[in-house]
Amino acid sequence: MRKTIAMLLIATTVIFGVFANGSGESAASGDTYVIGFMGPLTGDNANYGIRCNNATQLAVSEINAAGGINGKQLEVIAENTLGTTEGAIAAYEKLVYSDGVCAIVGPVFTGPALAVAQRCYEDGIVMISPSATHKDVTSLGDFVYRTVPSDALQSEVAAHYMYEVLGYRNIACLYAMNDYSQGLALGVQETFTELGGTVSAMETCMVGDKDFRTQLGAIRNSGAEAIYIPNYTVEDALILEQAAQLGMNLPFFSSDGFSDPEIYNLAGDYTDGVMYVGPAQAEASSILADFTAAYSAAYDGDQPDSFATNAYDATYILAEAIGRAGSTDWSAINDQVKATSDFQGANGTINFAANGDMIASQGVYYVEGTTPVYQGSFQIVDDAIVQVD
Amino acid sequence: MDTLVQYLQYLVNGLTLGAIYALIALGYTMVYGILKFINFAHGDILMIGAYTGLFTYTALLGESTNAAWMLIAFFIAMLVSMAFCALLGMFIERVAYKPLRNANRLAPLLSAIGVSFILSNGAAWLFGAQSRRFPYPFDDTPIMLGGISITPHQILTVVVSVIMMVVLTLFVNRSRMGKAMRATSLDQATSELMGIDVNRIISMTFAIGSALAAVGGILSAFDFRVYASMGTMTGLKAFVAAVIGGIGNIQGAMLGGVILGVLESIGAPLLHIPSALKDTIAFAVLIVILLVKPDGILGKNEREKV
Amino acid sequence: MLNFFQLIIIYAGIYALMAIGQNCITGNTGMLSLCHAGFYCIGSYVTAIICKTMGLPFWFSLPVAAVAAGLVGFLIGVPTLRLKGDYLCIATLGLGEIIRNIATNVNPVGINSVPRAALFGYQFSSRNKLTFILLIWFFVMIAYVLFRQLAHSRIGRAMIAVREDEVAAQSNGINVTKYKIGAFTLGAAIGGVAGCFATAYTLTVSPGSYTFMVSVMVLCMVVLGGMGNLKGVILGAFIIEFISYFPQLVGLSSVIPAQASQVLYGLVLVIMMICRPQGILGRDRYRYGSQVKKGARKAAGAKEA
Repeated sequence: MRKTIAMLLIATTVIFGVFANGSGESAASGDTYVIGFMGPLTGDNANYGIRCNNATQLAVSEINAAGGINGKQLEVIAENTLGTTEGAIAAYEKLVYSDGVCAIVGPVFTGPALAVAQRCYEDGIVMISPSATHKDVTSLGDFVYRTVPSDALQSEVAAHYMYEVLGYRNIACLYAMNDYSQGLALGVQETFTELGGTVSAMETCMVGDKDFRTQLGAIRNSGAEAIYIPNYTVEDALILEQAAQLGMNLPFFSSDGFSDPEIYNLAGDYTDGVMYVGPAQAEASSILADFTAAYSAAYDGDQPDSFATNAYDATYILAEAIGRAGSTDWSAINDQVKATSDFQGANGTINFAANGDMIASQGVYYVEGTTPVYQGSFQIVDDAIVQVD
Repeated sequence: MDTLVQYLQYLVNGLTLGAIYALIALGYTMVYGILKFINFAHGDILMIGAYTGLFTYTALLGESTNAAWMLIAFFIAMLVSMAFCALLGMFIERVAYKPLRNANRLAPLLSAIGVSFILSNGAAWLFGAQSRRFPYPFDDTPIMLGGISITPHQILTVVVSVIMMVVLTLFVNRSRMGKAMRATSLDQATSELMGIDVNRIISMTFAIGSALAAVGGILSAFDFRVYASMGTMTGLKAFVAAVIGGIGNIQGAMLGGVILGVLESIGAPLLHIPSALKDTIAFAVLIVILLVKPDGILGKNEREKV
Repeated sequence: MLNFFQLIIIYAGIYALMAIGQNCITGNTGMLSLCHAGFYCIGSYVTAIICKTMGLPFWFSLPVAAVAAGLVGFLIGVPTLRLKGDYLCIATLGLGEIIRNIATNVNPVGINSVPRAALFGYQFSSRNKLTFILLIWFFVMIAYVLFRQLAHSRIGRAMIAVREDEVAAQSNGINVTKYKIGAFTLGAAIGGVAGCFATAYTLTVSPGSYTFMVSVMVLCMVVLGGMGNLKGVILGAFIIEFISYFPQLVGLSSVIPAQASQVLYGLVLVIMMICRPQGILGRDRYRYGSQVKKGARKAAGAKEA
């Protein structure tokens, strides 16, 4: 037994030595720019992390194929946050101090993003999250950006759209107890009530719950005209299917979690008639279509969701900022990211507000059968919904 | 809608859920009965079962839309998945648990956690992290009975579970092998002296438990989809069900599963608290049950220690 | 590289505290409990609330976290500890989940931007890891010394007697319930202290971090190191943390897929257990005081047990 342990220890040390040199070199070499990606690559929500990572890798290889940045190649190192605070901090330490990255795309979820945002702010390195929607993420100020609208905007658009355009006066919400889902549901509840509507049921579930029949039964009894379901893809699919199985035919309104094309495999025909708030689309631009096609070709026909699209944009924004900064200096890159103006990405024109939030409008989609039909993009001006294009 | 009808609806949903928990709980309880050890990887076997079933079913079905063939293909897929999981269960036992049979009781638990990591992450690696839909092998339009909706797949779930449990009960109580199993769980050393091949019995126990988990996995895939970490929470709840019924007791596992399923479905609305707390209620009630009946509902009163 | 290694040492320190607590419950007294994530969660939240919401210093939150977690441990312990073996395991597992569910339902976002711990004006920041290592391992050492003294005291011997045979212990006049609840409360309190340091380091608490897997990993550390063996469980904590973060430490994580490194982790667990089922340093052998010679140890252990 002792021999086995000794052998294991020796093996460990050897591997240790070999890779220690390897990683040291990549950080030190001067002919590449290295950025980091972090997100959950294993575990329950790995799906989102993997897609965002794929999109980031795709953007980097496109940039390199087009000649890199100022003649230098761009490299991305992906780290797994395991979806926990501890894991995210470890990933951050590894990327920033072991690999010497000059900026970060990620984290994907709000919990890790809050932990990492504080470190980025203190250490002075740029992070751009493609998908952490909670309003607190950008509350620290500098160095923290995101290419996803804050859930405050999304829930306002959703509530106004349901009240003003669709004419609902009584809705119900079914949301999960996490930052994303709860943030949206509470936002909609507040705005919808302010507008004069009634939210007759606020039903909750835990993240990872797969059986929503009890909550749907309660909603059916509440007399709501429509159900708002700000959830992730799989949960949305299950809610739609279980509602149909219970014989409910209320209209559903969802969030950008619905923008994942996977929903049409998971929910089948039950998606017909669902409306959702998603990213605004670039009018008269083929960037989104090109990205979707390239992503699909690179990853065995998998389709990107809206968060992956955001990660793609985030990588390009970083690359442009690094190019303008012309160095790996963290604060120079931060100045250049902040100076981003009218960036043309897959999600249309992107500008950052002073706190690092994206100045954006939100798109609304209507699903016909299994095809989302774009209804236009909207903003909230003086407490009323305005269609921008 | 009438409140009574609504609660009956919750009851129907709870019973279906409970049937699945019961099937999976049987695997935990049988292994525990013989080896006094919690097979932590059992939940991941159900995930493998669901994937195997899904792949076999889609391969068999091809482009066919023939209603009869869909149903036949589904049952063939279920049998294939049961066989595969039985082999996998035996293999895992041989490699990861057998060398630890005489070690302290927590050592195999740790080994099982390792196996669980390997299976769930291996599946995520091979099959991807996204969820997949298990297509219904029949038209799943709900049947309305006086305001209560019952779907064909719920009926299938309950029927298949009941058949499995009846067959298992008959097997354990009537067959020679079942008798040997009961003997082994009572006293391993003595049964060995009586000429029972204990290794074979243990292998067999793992095979049967894993095959039942495969069925549970396929049936739960209708409602919950197929994904790499699907076994974790379902497995945990099934384990709870097994303990509640009195771990080591086969009827207890079935009872525990049904109680847990119904509690989860009906507990929150009955007590008028947020549905997100439904697991909390289920766990709380289980603790209360344990405090009243410290050996589970049908458990035999015996002393044990870590 | 060195920086990342320091991070692992910090994490190992936090988990070593938890493992010491778990060892007091499982290793010494023989109760299979799976709710250390719950105590960890309580300690973390108490610290975050005291430091952030109330604006009080970290050093005030440390004893409060210990007391709060200990109190919850006591309240859980009183009704459940008469359960045996796996029934206790499932009851505590349920309680751990209940604590996490309640935390999630109260506030799913958690608390962020918690102020740092400071000592005489010096702030323990996550950038300066060396001082943080000294801080956390200082407390690990204190816990080690205290629990070693405890294990060798009259109380510790009584706890071991309870583990080995409850009936025999009872018939020797040991109040089994009292020792069980005592051990459980103490173990829980140490779990709370670990949570306190975790918050001081990450400055964020989010309910998603306190899953049942945390409890399982802490139990693994105890079994892997050697049940009842204090040095062993600290080593166990270090090894588990080391192999969890090994791919990131050596840069393997950017080469191989993330799932593959998790698969490897599982494989290492299985292999280690098969090679050393009694734990790396082995179980504790009960010693009669410390003056008994090595050769007589086994006999003495047998006699006492």
